[in-house]
Amino acid sequence: MLELDDLRVHIGGHEIVHIEHLSLEPGSRLGLVGESGSGKTMTAKAVAGLLPDEARVSGSVRFNGRELLAMNDRQMSEVRGRKIGFVFQDPARSLNPMMRVGRQVSEAIRVHSELPRAAVARKVVALLEQVQLPDPPTLMRRYPHQLSGGQQQRVMIAAAIAADPEFLIADEPTTALDVTVQEEILRLLISLSEQRGMGVLFVSHDLGVIRFVCDRVAVIYGGAVVETGRTEDVIAAPRHRYTAALLAANPGMPRDDNFRAFIGQRLHTIPGSVPPVGTFPSGCRFRNRCVAASEACTAMPGVLDAGDGHRYSCWNPVEGL
Amino acid sequence: MALVEVENMWFHYPRARLGAGVEGWTLQDISVQVQAQSTLGIVGESGSGKSTLIRVMCGLLRHQRGVVRFDGRDIAGLSGRDAVDRRQRNQMVFQNPRRSLDPRMTIRRSLSEPVRALLDRSPDDTEMTGWLERVGLGPDVLPRFPHQLSGGQLQRIGIARSLSVNPTILYADEPVSALDVSVQAQVLNLLMDLREQLGLTLVMVSHDLGVVSRMCAEIVVMRHGAVIESGPTEVVLGAPATDYTRALLHAARAASLEREGAEG
Amino acid sequence: MPETAPRGSATNAAAEVRRDSRWRRLRRLPITLYLGGLLVFLFVFVALLSFVWTPYPPNHLNLRNRLAGPGTPGFLLGTDRAGRDVVTELMLGARNSLYVSVVSTVVAMVLGSAIGLAIAGSHRVAQGPLTRLVDAGLALPGILIALVLAAKLGAGNTTATLAIIAWQVPVAARVTIGPARQVLALDFVEAAYGYGRRKPYVMVRHVLPNISPLLIVLGSVMFAAAILIEAALAFLGVGVQPPTSSWGRFLNETQSLLEAAPYLMFFPGLAIVLTALGFNLLGDGLRTVLDPQQARSGLA
Repeated sequence: MLELDDLRVHIGGHEIVHIEHLSLEPGSRLGLVGESGSGKTMTAKAVAGLLPDEARVSGSVRFNGRELLAMNDRQMSEVRGRKIGFVFQDPARSLNPMMRVGRQVSEAIRVHSELPRAAVARKVVALLEQVQLPDPPTLMRRYPHQLSGGQQQRVMIAAAIAADPEFLIADEPTTALDVTVQEEILRLLISLSEQRGMGVLFVSHDLGVIRFVCDRVAVIYGGAVVETGRTEDVIAAPRHRYTAALLAANPGMPRDDNFRAFIGQRLHTIPGSVPPVGTFPSGCRFRNRCVAASEACTAMPGVLDAGDGHRYSCWNPVEGL
Repeated sequence: MALVEVENMWFHYPRARLGAGVEGWTLQDISVQVQAQSTLGIVGESGSGKSTLIRVMCGLLRHQRGVVRFDGRDIAGLSGRDAVDRRQRNQMVFQNPRRSLDPRMTIRRSLSEPVRALLDRSPDDTEMTGWLERVGLGPDVLPRFPHQLSGGQLQRIGIARSLSVNPTILYADEPVSALDVSVQAQVLNLLMDLREQLGLTLVMVSHDLGVVSRMCAEIVVMRHGAVIESGPTEVVLGAPATDYTRALLHAARAASLEREGAEG
Repeated sequence: MPETAPRGSATNAAAEVRRDSRWRRLRRLPITLYLGGLLVFLFVFVALLSFVWTPYPPNHLNLRNRLAGPGTPGFLLGTDRAGRDVVTELMLGARNSLYVSVVSTVVAMVLGSAIGLAIAGSHRVAQGPLTRLVDAGLALPGILIALVLAAKLGAGNTTATLAIIAWQVPVAARVTIGPARQVLALDFVEAAYGYGRRKPYVMVRHVLPNISPLLIVLGSVMFAAAILIEAALAFLGVGVQPPTSSWGRFLNETQSLLEAAPYLMFFPGLAIVLTALGFNLLGDGLRTVLDPQQARSGLA
């Protein structure tokens, strides 16, 4: 349904994103995981046509066979909303504080359809029910600040799916939320995706969240996909050194509730930090932070296949179990 | 005797009219004890009052009812040298490293502030280099401004600043939630190392049960401004007594990776 | 939420980047800044020049060349009814304008922002009423203040200066309160209290530097307003009295000749407009230059 090929994004003379190939099947959920500065958000923005003005894009982003990069602004805004919905990190900033909740959702419906007023109102109520908000008729008349963070995010989701998109981009939608609310929102996204057969591109820095939501994951470093595959495969047996390091750095929760053994345990760290744009090393971009870096890594590694669509680009991969 | 004793403490923020009911109180009837050199985690959701609680314990906010004792002495009654001394021994690390350093001050100035304020002298570069070494940074950051440094570097500087006056107890308010996973790991390890080296007491607020259960041997669960459960981490989280803690744990497990206790 | 940040590695590389970006920033400065800066520079230069040189001595009457038109040899912009050279008068008027607006703006800025800071730092319960008090001050009509002051003190530069101060102090205070409160809510302020700093220190060392871009912009806009008010008060006869020259009074004195010698009103009017415009443009340019920086420092 969604296919990226040789997608490159340049900003200020630096290549921020270079995705060789990435695809998303209808109804499936793909996680983009990486640290800040890895290019994961820029990739999502490139798909959405929401890159800043100074960015230059090349390559191909095809959605159901149509080339999105070739579209003009009007065609693109037609695609956005009707075909692709968005949910962002901070609901408090994404909602208009001066507009009632019902209006924000109905706007999203009316932009793309000519339904009569009463039908729009019915649809808003239905959407708010679908995102499991209590008492939609009352809630519609509230302003965003009168809602909790979780409720605001549900409103955002309702607006995002208002025009029945086939595909949803969610950029760290639960980072600003409490853990119990996070779980509810993630479950909501999963069930909406399953009910509607809606594809989801889910951007996050947390592999724990990705594991919960996504069937497939693409690990991004230095603007490129370094490893991709079924989420369970990648997490259970990461091949790329960066994926393995990212997993080892995740605090996680103790297996079998063995909290006693957990206390005081140090985490494995990745040395250094993500280099600033334009200062990544040649060859494997992770090699200056990698524990297994060797002479070979100065050359760009090819794509290797570990079976079942599990692919990675690493000269010295973690050995399979 | 515990290092910090909070007894039946109530707190509310300044407000125009005093309501009679419980609603107006951000913290209600809190009792918590922190033993010297122990690690205490405070968990709860936003609005539970966990950040307010450590601010009262640290002396940044003044409670209205009940008693808060530090080293056996009521902190409300301290004055002069004793008050300064208590401040020096209670230091705090904040959530957002970019907001906890003045953007218009050099790192040199920001880092030297606690010693200037509390000990009334200006530390020299050699001394400050020592503080920076402790947190894994070099003296090259001294002339920089915060916007020239990364979040991880700034959080290390925040920690170095807190430790510059040799506190007894370090309060950390979500110290890693604004950082990337890989930087989080570095900062958490650093906090664990420093705590052991310096014999610090650590009180840490976090919404991340995984982080708290690694860092803290004891835990307090808060909800709606009250403590609903407390005790050793393995007991409170291993066998929760309340539905609320169970719900927190359930949600945390759902969206977390499972990790072995001991790392290879 | 994870954040991106520039990460310099070596110190001299960082210095190079800084130099480079400074140069690039200079080239990207807004045109308003250059235009405003030029007008303001001209104004200040002319006003200061009048102390050492004017075409004719102050109040020199060229009795043989009364009402000479612009371009008359020796009188570039002509003379008025009494034979005073217009260029000389404008230069001396600029001097008075500069004097009154510098004094009033500096005093109003210092007083106003001090009041604003004090209110921002006051107890949360007191802030509402105190802010409303400042709002009430904002609502006072400035001309009325000037007339009342003139009635008490008599007309003159002091009256004009005091009136402008009384007019501008609430403005400066009101504009300071909000941003100062925003800075006070940031963690580094709490950190400062945590290591034992007190409120006055925090106000001076943390809040003031962080709102200084705003105060610079505010200052230039207030300067423009002061120029206009000074001229208006002088025109109404409440401001500076003869024999001191002033643009506003010159306008007043020549208004009866509007038909016979329109240039007599045109040139001082133009001087007022250009100067006020200059300060406004400068303020606008400064805002564009300083605001993103302010945003980067965490105020946005």
